[in-house]
Amino acid sequence: MILCVLFTNRTGNVLLERFHGLPAEERLHWRSFLVKLTTENLKTARDDEVFVASHKSVFIVYTVIGDICIFAVGKEVYDELALMEVLNAVTASVKEVCRKDPSERLFLEKYGKVCLCLDEIISQGALEHTDKDRIRRLTRLKPLAE
Amino acid sequence: MALVQPALKKDDDIDDDSEYSPFYGIEKSAVLQEARCFNDRELDARRCAQVITKLLYLINQGETFTKNEATEVFFATTKLFQSKDIGLRRMVYLMIKEISPSSDEVIIVTSSLMKDMNSKTDLYRANAIRVLCRVTDGGLLGQIERYLKQAVVDKNPVVSSAALVSGIHLYQSNPEIVKRWSNEVQEAVQSKAPLVQFHGLALLHQIRQNDRLALSKLVSNLTRGSVRSPLAQCLLVRYTCQVISESGPNTQTGERPFFDFLESCLRHKTDMVIFEAARAITELNAVTNRELTAAITVLQLFLSSSKPVLRFAAVRTLNKVAMTHPLAVTSCNIDMESLISDQNRSIATLAITTLLKTGNEGSVDRLIKQITNFMSDISDEFKIVVVEAIRSLCLKFPKKYRSLMSFLSNILREEGGFEYKNAIVDSILILIREIPDAKESGLAHLCEFIEDCEFTYLSSQILHLLGNEGPKTADPSKYIRYIYNRVILENPTVRASAVSALAKFGVVVKELRPRILILLQRCLYDNDDEVRDRATLYLSFLTDGPEAVDGDAQAFLFQRLDLPLANLEASLQSYEPSERPFDLAAVPRDVKPQQQVEKKAPTSREKKAAKDASQKAAADGGASNTFEAHEKLLNSIPQFAGFGKLFKSSTPVELTEAETEYAVNLVKHVYSGHIVFQFNCTNTITEQLLENVSVVMEPIEGEDFNQVATKPLASMPCGVPGQAFVAFEKPEGACSLGKFSNTLMFNVKEVDPSTGEPIEGDDGYEDEYQLELSEVSAADYILKTGVSNFRNAWESIDSELERVDEYSLGVRESLQDAVQAVTTILGMQTCEATDVVPSNARSHTCLLAGKFLGDIQVLVRLSVGIDSQKQVAMKLAVRSEDPTVSDIIHEIINS
Repeated sequence: MILCVLFTNRTGNVLLERFHGLPAEERLHWRSFLVKLTTENLKTARDDEVFVASHKSVFIVYTVIGDICIFAVGKEVYDELALMEVLNAVTASVKEVCRKDPSERLFLEKYGKVCLCLDEIISQGALEHTDKDRIRRLTRLKPLAE
Repeated sequence: MALVQPALKKDDDIDDDSEYSPFYGIEKSAVLQEARCFNDRELDARRCAQVITKLLYLINQGETFTKNEATEVFFATTKLFQSKDIGLRRMVYLMIKEISPSSDEVIIVTSSLMKDMNSKTDLYRANAIRVLCRVTDGGLLGQIERYLKQAVVDKNPVVSSAALVSGIHLYQSNPEIVKRWSNEVQEAVQSKAPLVQFHGLALLHQIRQNDRLALSKLVSNLTRGSVRSPLAQCLLVRYTCQVISESGPNTQTGERPFFDFLESCLRHKTDMVIFEAARAITELNAVTNRELTAAITVLQLFLSSSKPVLRFAAVRTLNKVAMTHPLAVTSCNIDMESLISDQNRSIATLAITTLLKTGNEGSVDRLIKQITNFMSDISDEFKIVVVEAIRSLCLKFPKKYRSLMSFLSNILREEGGFEYKNAIVDSILILIREIPDAKESGLAHLCEFIEDCEFTYLSSQILHLLGNEGPKTADPSKYIRYIYNRVILENPTVRASAVSALAKFGVVVKELRPRILILLQRCLYDNDDEVRDRATLYLSFLTDGPEAVDGDAQAFLFQRLDLPLANLEASLQSYEPSERPFDLAAVPRDVKPQQQVEKKAPTSREKKAAKDASQKAAADGGASNTFEAHEKLLNSIPQFAGFGKLFKSSTPVELTEAETEYAVNLVKHVYSGHIVFQFNCTNTITEQLLENVSVVMEPIEGEDFNQVATKPLASMPCGVPGQAFVAFEKPEGACSLGKFSNTLMFNVKEVDPSTGEPIEGDDGYEDEYQLELSEVSAADYILKTGVSNFRNAWESIDSELERVDEYSLGVRESLQDAVQAVTTILGMQTCEATDVVPSNARSHTCLLAGKFLGDIQVLVRLSVGIDSQKQVAMKLAVRSEDPTVSDIIHEIINS
C-alpha cells in the first residue's frame, strides 16, 4: 500500500498531500514525522537528490526539485525500490507539468494538473501508471500514441 | 527545524510567499458560491475547471463539507457531464471520486458513467470504470460486472489496468464477485503490456491466496514463462517465497523447490528484481551458507551503487542477515565501512550497526574511531541505535571494555537529549554489572558525568549506584568529593539521593565514617525538609554505636523493602496515631490478587478478558520472572522460610493445553535440600468460583523426594491468577532427578450471573483436573552464569579434573543445529559469542559456562565436526572444581 504522497516547500510547509488507508487522526502525526525526519537533509539537498529511510515497517523515499520536496511513503509490497518507481513517476510528471525546476508559485498554479497526474499514478494506494508520456496523455484524455 | 504547517494554516499567515499563491485567501463559502456556475445553461469549461481545482484544494487541505454542501456540489458536478470539453470531463471524474457521494445519491451519476463505460473512446471507458468502482455498492456491481470482465481483457492497456486495479480494491468488499473474473485475470497476466501484467498478477494472487495448490501452480507456470514487467517479476519472487515456505524442502534431494528460479533472478537486468531475489533468499527458513553466498555477493555490489535507494536496501538487508548469520556478512565489511561517511544518515547508521554486529575483536578499535567522527552529525534517534549496538558489542567482547567504555563516556559528555543520555547511562550500568573489570572505570566516568548532568532522574540513579558499589571499591574515598559536590550544587531530589549515598559509605567504610559524619551534619541545615530528614536519620544510625551501624543501618540502607508497596500503603492508611508505633512486621507480605473493581454479570467479553488475563499473567511471568521477584515471593511464605538460599528458578512450563478451562504453568524453585513447585493457575470459566485450590503431586520416578509442605490457594475467581505451592525435600546438595503426575484439586461453586457472586447456600462440590506430567532434570541444577574470560577460567581449574568423552549426534542439518540442541539441553551460558557457527565451517568449538548447585563453577568446551554425509561427531570436555559435577554433565548428554 502506498500510504502517502506529500509535497512541501523547502521549509516544510505542506502544499499537497494524498493519504491512502490512513485514518484522519494519524495523518497529522505522519506529516510532522516526515518533515521532522527530513528537514535537515533537505536544506542542503541538490535537485533530484534522492533520500531514503525506514521507520518500523514503513518506507520513505523523498527528493527535491526546485522549491518542491516530494515524499512517498509505503509499506508491504511498496518497499524502498517499489516506492522509487512511484517517486520517479511523480517527479517526472511534476516536471512535465511545471517545467524543470518548479517554483512554489508555479506548482500551485498547476495544482489541478498535478492532482490529475497523481490520480493516474496512484489509485487508492496502488501504483497504476508510471510512464510520464502516458500519464500526460491520460490527464488530457488523449488516446495513447501507437 | 521547520514547523509543519498545512497550507490552510499558512494562508492565515501573511508572509511573502503566500501573496503569490493562487489560493491565497481562499474561503470555502466563496468557492461553493462559485460552484453555482456548474448549473449555467452555457457552461464555461475553463471557469468550471478552475472551480473544481479550488474545491480539490480545499478537500486536500482537510476542509470538510457538510452533508448539504457535499450534496449540492455533487449534483452540480454531475451537470458537467453535458459539456463536451474533455479537459473538464477529466476533472469531473476526479471530483466525483473525491466527493464520495452517499449511496442514495450515486444513482444520479450512474447512467452517465455507464454510458461512458460503453463509449468508443477508450479513456472514457477507463475513467468511468475507475469512478464507478469507487462509488458503487455491491448491488450495482452485479449489473456492471459483465462490462468489467470485458474490460479486464480489453486490448487497450489503460482500460485493462483500470479494471484490474479496481478489482484489487473491490476484492476487499466483494470478493465473491471478483473471484468470478479468474479466467479473464489469468489472460491479463499473459498480456504484453508490463503494467497490465503487474496488476493482473497482484489480483490473481489475491483471488488464489487461500488456495495453496492453485498458488503453487500459478508460481510454477509463471517461473517457467517470461514475465516482462519488473514489478510483476518482484511480485512473482514474493509469491514464490510464500510457496517455498509452505512446502518445505524436497524430501528426496533435500533441495528447496524454486530455488533455481530465485537464483536466476539474481542475474535479472533490473536492480529491483535482483534485490527482491536477494532479499527473498536471505529470508528463507533455515537458509544455508551455500544458498546465501550468491545473494550476499549481489547485495555487496549494491553497497557501492550510485543510487542511495539501492545502497539503503542492501545495507538494510545485510543488517538483518547479520543478526542470524554474522559471519556470512563479514565479506562486506570493507564496503560497509565506506558507507559510514554516506551522505544519507539512515544508510550510515545501518552500516555502523551492521558492522558492530559482524566485527571481530580485532576491528573494534578501528570501528570505534570511525564512529566517533560520525556521531556528531546524526540525530539522537540514530545515536541511541548506535549506543545499543555498542553495548551488545561490549558484552560480546568483554576484553574490549576499555575502548568501548571510554567511547560511551566521551559521548556522554556531548550534547544530547534525555532519551539519548539515558541510553548511554543504562549501557554503562549494564557493563558495570556484567563485566566486573569494568566497574571502577565505569564508576569514574559516571562520577564525572554527574558533575555536569542536567537530568535529575539520571543523577539520582547514578548516586544510588555509587552508594551501593563505591564502598566496595579499592579506594572508596575518591567518590566522596563527587557525591558531596551534588549536596552543594543540586536540586533537592538530587541532594537527598546524595545524602543517602554518603550514608552508605559511612556505614560500610569504617575509616571514612568520622568524615562522613561531618558532611552529614552540614546537611542538617539544608533548605529542603527531605534532605534534612534523611541527614538526621542517617546521623542517628551512624552515631548509635558500631553494632547499630552494622545491624540496623546496614539493613535499612542496603536491604530492599521486602514488602508489596500496595500492602504497606494500605497498612499506613489504616494506622491510627497512638502510643503504639507503626510495626513494619505487621504488614502482610502476601501479594493480594487484584480485586475485580466491579462485580457484575459475567459476559462473553469477560470470558475473553479472563483468557487475556491468563495470557497476560504468563507474559508478566516473563517480565517479572526475575530471580529476585521469585525469591521475594517465596520468602514471604512461612512454610518455605527455612529452606535457605534460593539457587535457581526455572522458566515457566505449561501444564495445560492452550484454550482449556484452567490454565496452569509450573515454575520449579531449587534450594540446596528442597524443591518448591509453584503452580500459576488461572480459571477461565466465568460461571465458576474455585476454592481451596491445590495440586496433588505423585512421584512416578525419583525416590529421593519427600513431600514436606503445601500451600493451597484459597480462592480463584475467573480471570484472577493465583499460585498454589508444593514443596519436596531431597538429599542436601544432591542432583536428584524425578518425574511427577499432577492433579489440580478444588471446590467448585456456581456464580450467579446477575451479581457475579457465588449463589447463596451453594456449598459447591469437589472436583479435580488432570495436568501434564512434570519433571526435575539435571539442567534444573545448573545456573546460566557466564565468565568474562573463558580461557583464564578454564585454565584456573586443574586439568586433572577434566572429563572428556566423544559422542555421535547422528545426521544433522548443520553444525549450528547440533550446537543449538546441545546447549539447550545443558541450559548453560554460551561465552564469547561461540554459539554462532561460522558459515562454511566443518568443525566448531562452543564455550559454555554455568554454576552447579552449591555454586560450583562448571565449564564446557563443546567441539563438533560434520562430515559430507552430515554426520555430526561431538567431543565434550568438562572442567569443574568438583569432578562429580563434570560426570553429571556427561550423564545429561548420555540420557
